[in-house]
Amino acid sequence: MQRKTTPGRVVVFIIILIGACTMILPFIWMISTSLKEPNLVYTIPPQWIPDPVKWENYREIWTASNLLTGIKNSTIISVLVVVFSTFTSSMAAFAFSKLRFPLKKFIFTMLLSTMMVPLVVLLVPQFVIYSKIKWIDTLLPMIVPASLCNINTIFFLRQYIVGLPKELLDAAKIDGCGYFGAYLRIYLPLCKPAIAANVIMLFMTTWNDYFGPMVFTHSESRQTVQVAIAMLNSHYVQQTNIPHMMAAALIAELPVIILFVAFQKHFTESFAMTGIKG
Amino acid sequence: MMKKHKISLKQREGIAGLLFVTPSILYFIVFFLLPIAVCVYASFTNWNILSEKKMFVGLRNYDRLFADPKFWKALQNTLYMLIPVPIYIVFALLFGYACHKNILGQKVFRAIYYLPYISSVVSLTLIWKWLFNSEYGLINDFLRGLGVADPPNWLGDPLWTKRMIVLMISWKMIGIISIYYIAALKAVPRSYYEAAQIDGASSLQQYFKITLPLITPTTFYLMIVGVIGSLQTFVEVQMFTPDGGRGFGVGTIVFYIWQKAFSSSQMGYASAAALVFGAFIFLLTIIQFAISRRWVYEGD
Repeated sequence: MQRKTTPGRVVVFIIILIGACTMILPFIWMISTSLKEPNLVYTIPPQWIPDPVKWENYREIWTASNLLTGIKNSTIISVLVVVFSTFTSSMAAFAFSKLRFPLKKFIFTMLLSTMMVPLVVLLVPQFVIYSKIKWIDTLLPMIVPASLCNINTIFFLRQYIVGLPKELLDAAKIDGCGYFGAYLRIYLPLCKPAIAANVIMLFMTTWNDYFGPMVFTHSESRQTVQVAIAMLNSHYVQQTNIPHMMAAALIAELPVIILFVAFQKHFTESFAMTGIKG
Repeated sequence: MMKKHKISLKQREGIAGLLFVTPSILYFIVFFLLPIAVCVYASFTNWNILSEKKMFVGLRNYDRLFADPKFWKALQNTLYMLIPVPIYIVFALLFGYACHKNILGQKVFRAIYYLPYISSVVSLTLIWKWLFNSEYGLINDFLRGLGVADPPNWLGDPLWTKRMIVLMISWKMIGIISIYYIAALKAVPRSYYEAAQIDGASSLQQYFKITLPLITPTTFYLMIVGVIGSLQTFVEVQMFTPDGGRGFGVGTIVFYIWQKAFSSSQMGYASAAALVFGAFIFLLTIIQFAISRRWVYEGD
């Protein structure tokens, strides 16, 4: 498509450019602040380029906060949830789109209905249930339910698999592949682009989750990365080491940002392909 | 012989299908149905996590809830959080439309616009708290530079804190919402525009008469999901005002329930509040569906 320069386009371009500035500047400011001496953050006017540059902040933060434990726990949770949930949800998506089985519509509607119920309605009773089965202050509440099924993934992959030919299943059956074989060897590999997009989303939501870990864990050794950096949030600014706080927040952001930059193409393309319509 | 074989094939498919969705069913029963049942039951008791004793109190929790001015204040604050929905929808549509029309630098812009969305709310609130610090923050420094003598006390004044949260949610969501619009805009058939051009419709007319009506299903979907999400605003509130703000001027309903359940350990009371809140969201969604018939395009 050719580009024409019209006044309308120039105005829109300027609005978008201003928007982009508001989105990138906080992050640049965050990097700048994370490299400052603690007392230099209060200078007026604000200093954009730190002088002196204090790289040690990035070394000190590991002992000054619970970041390392947080990253360890969040990695365990995120990896397990991504692996298991991709597996269980794609299996369900395959069944909902290609197999005939009793109560199929009913089960699917039930699963969809879970999206309408606010998280807090489940959170309070879940806490009660988890305390009965001794799951409180373990990582299990963050891992087990999320590994069993993710309704967004099921819905998303179902849309995708519906578009794949059903003949593949018949061919697989003739070759004596069985349903699980057809899923594992034929449909799963074909879903790769959609799964890539989903892995990013799933990793992002699990890594960034704060509400669950905050409610279900309390000892330091069980903190996730978000809880660990939230601990640096003090009510009084003067008591906080602002450069440390910014450095920690930045480190916590890195895994998601790297993953996103690496897979951005997959991500947006999959959205367009499945043409999310609701 | 032949017939028997067919039936067993069909049964095999049925069994396979059920086995494939077993984890989902397990999730639904154990982590969804059971908690809801517990929530309903608990809402009629004076359950307190500290003492194991619990007594049936009938509707007393509900009476107390509706009589609590703090609950109504929380409801007001929660409704305030709906303001970002139309804001980000309008801006995301503008941005998505510009990307669709292949605006200069769209690849770079898109990457930048996703940045706030992929960041965790905790990190974002930490940056924002620092940016909006009334004395040393970049924002107030900028406002003073513009000649505002007395810039707002963003974190101390509940009304300004709420405005800041509205700004933050709108800002965060534009990028991701625009993806939905870019996909929807791609799906509008080109022939419609060609026909309109032959009839001499201006590009503005084409936008309002063809583009906007044809993407209403996407707008509707985004509104439903957006309203449900916005009403559940919690982390921003907890991070900016750990006590819900002066006079509970910032606390939302989810924050209120969280406080009751986990700070005061009143599980029964919190369950009642959570159920009322769930019913409220359900009602709002039904109303939206009812109104949708008037404005959502349903296809030919």
